[in-house]
Amino acid sequence: MTLSELWSYDFMRYALISACLLGPACAMLGVFVTLRGMAFFSDALAHSAVTGVAIGFLIREKLGLQLDPMLTVLIFALLQAAIMAWLFHRSSLAPDTVIAFSFTGSVALGVVIIAMLGKYRLLDGILFGSIYANSPTDILRQAILVCIIGAVLLTQMRSYTLSTLNPELARARRLHTVWLNYLFALLIAATVVTALKMLGALLLSALIVIPPAAAKLVSGSFRGLLVISLLGGLIAPLLGVVASAQLNVPTGPSIVLMNVVFLLACALWRSRRRRLAAGAAPTSSPMPATAKS
Amino acid sequence: MSAVADREAPTSARTASQHDAAEFLCRAPLLRIEHLGVRYGPQWALRGVDLDIWRGDVLAFIGPNGAGKSTLLKAILGLITPTEGSILRDDALLPTGYVPQKLDIDASFPLTVGEFMAVNHPGRSFWFGGVPRRWRSLIMETLERLRIADLEHRQLGTLSGGQFQRVLIAAALLQQPQLLLLDEPSASIDRRGSEELQLLLHELHAQLGLTIVFVSHDLHFVHHLAHRVGCLNQSFCGLGPPHEVLSEHFLAEAYGTSALAPGRVHFHPASTP
Repeated sequence: MTLSELWSYDFMRYALISACLLGPACAMLGVFVTLRGMAFFSDALAHSAVTGVAIGFLIREKLGLQLDPMLTVLIFALLQAAIMAWLFHRSSLAPDTVIAFSFTGSVALGVVIIAMLGKYRLLDGILFGSIYANSPTDILRQAILVCIIGAVLLTQMRSYTLSTLNPELARARRLHTVWLNYLFALLIAATVVTALKMLGALLLSALIVIPPAAAKLVSGSFRGLLVISLLGGLIAPLLGVVASAQLNVPTGPSIVLMNVVFLLACALWRSRRRRLAAGAAPTSSPMPATAKS
Repeated sequence: MSAVADREAPTSARTASQHDAAEFLCRAPLLRIEHLGVRYGPQWALRGVDLDIWRGDVLAFIGPNGAGKSTLLKAILGLITPTEGSILRDDALLPTGYVPQKLDIDASFPLTVGEFMAVNHPGRSFWFGGVPRRWRSLIMETLERLRIADLEHRQLGTLSGGQFQRVLIAAALLQQPQLLLLDEPSASIDRRGSEELQLLLHELHAQLGLTIVFVSHDLHFVHHLAHRVGCLNQSFCGLGPPHEVLSEHFLAEAYGTSALAPGRVHFHPASTP
């Protein structure tokens, strides 16, 4: 099947547009997620979708309200993000402990509600996603999210970089680090909810974590990190969607595998560059300038 | 003095009055600390601290671990709200530069020196990595002042302790400060690096008229750089010129007599050049 044939199908066109929007947005957000060691946090929020969907269906069945499940997912994820961010600042518990109990607790609650409703089939869609189920409304939501992430990151990029590097130095520069952290947690929640349909809760972290992790291996500057993450975030999901259509394999795992290939390519590039640098360095040099870069 | 009275006053009287006002302003401390107390839970880190910091002062805080040195520095900076007492500034918007104790950065954090300076630039602008063209001249001028312009493209994680300290000072200078606060500037750098840093701070003080306040455990560094030394142990047990405060009496009071045993507090003023 050629690319023009793929483009002629509505569901495929929406899938490709969705990949172009969400891949780079997740990668940009992922730069700070990985530098701040918050990969587990985004994973926890993705899994809170189980409870969000379950609560949506519970309200629909028991109260007869026809709520969009994405709305309950968003509300629950925002609530969980706000509670976790509050606990990070106010409790003496370590962040990974806070994440672990809210993560497992919310998934357990979701599974209990789903079991009570007898809707086990819901779990499949939440955990693995379905990018072909995208509608024009979903694309519009994703475009709005991309605009918000772009606007926040472009205006606050320096603030987030400094507060990631050293929060004390950021506070000394009169930056409101607490509000920046809340805003960041809310952005992750909104991204996770919007991108859930594409990859599902189990695979979503790959979209956020892998492109910046790969870029970090080969970039020598922050600009390099941003540009390579952006490229990886754009190319891997696009290739993933095309490969899944050509090979008739599930799309979510296909996108994740493309991200892994990108990471491996970056790792190989770095190792080759190091070998070349080691070969070029004079033996008398005590410490080559590129040794740590 | 009212505007009318000022207009009618003879020239010589007006000149004298202006001179008095100027002298008063010169004499007014840049920062006045009154009965400052900071408590963490039930434990007081600082209590009853009174201090005037004067324009052009080079003031060092010494004392054992947990004596409240860094707490005092952070209270001056406004990072800690005092439990009691007050900190009065001559200028409410006193431009202050801060050099933190140590930046525990991941060596693989891909931020170059130039980019770190851009992140610390006081201007407002969109930023997507790199050094924006319109900030470049100020950034390079500051790096050249600290003789580290050649490090512009180096990653922060690859710098030595001394180079890194200079980068942190350069970033603080970008704020065009009147007051420069440094937390343990000579920690994690070798003796030679420490001496170079001393000279550099002397130079900045002389060239820019900076008021410098720093915390240090390195008494040699303090002895050579500071004009005044505050010996802290929750409150000041000594405050004055280095030759007075860096004496056995005050050091014993702050650190305890056992700490003055050979090999504990390393300072012998007689042996310093």
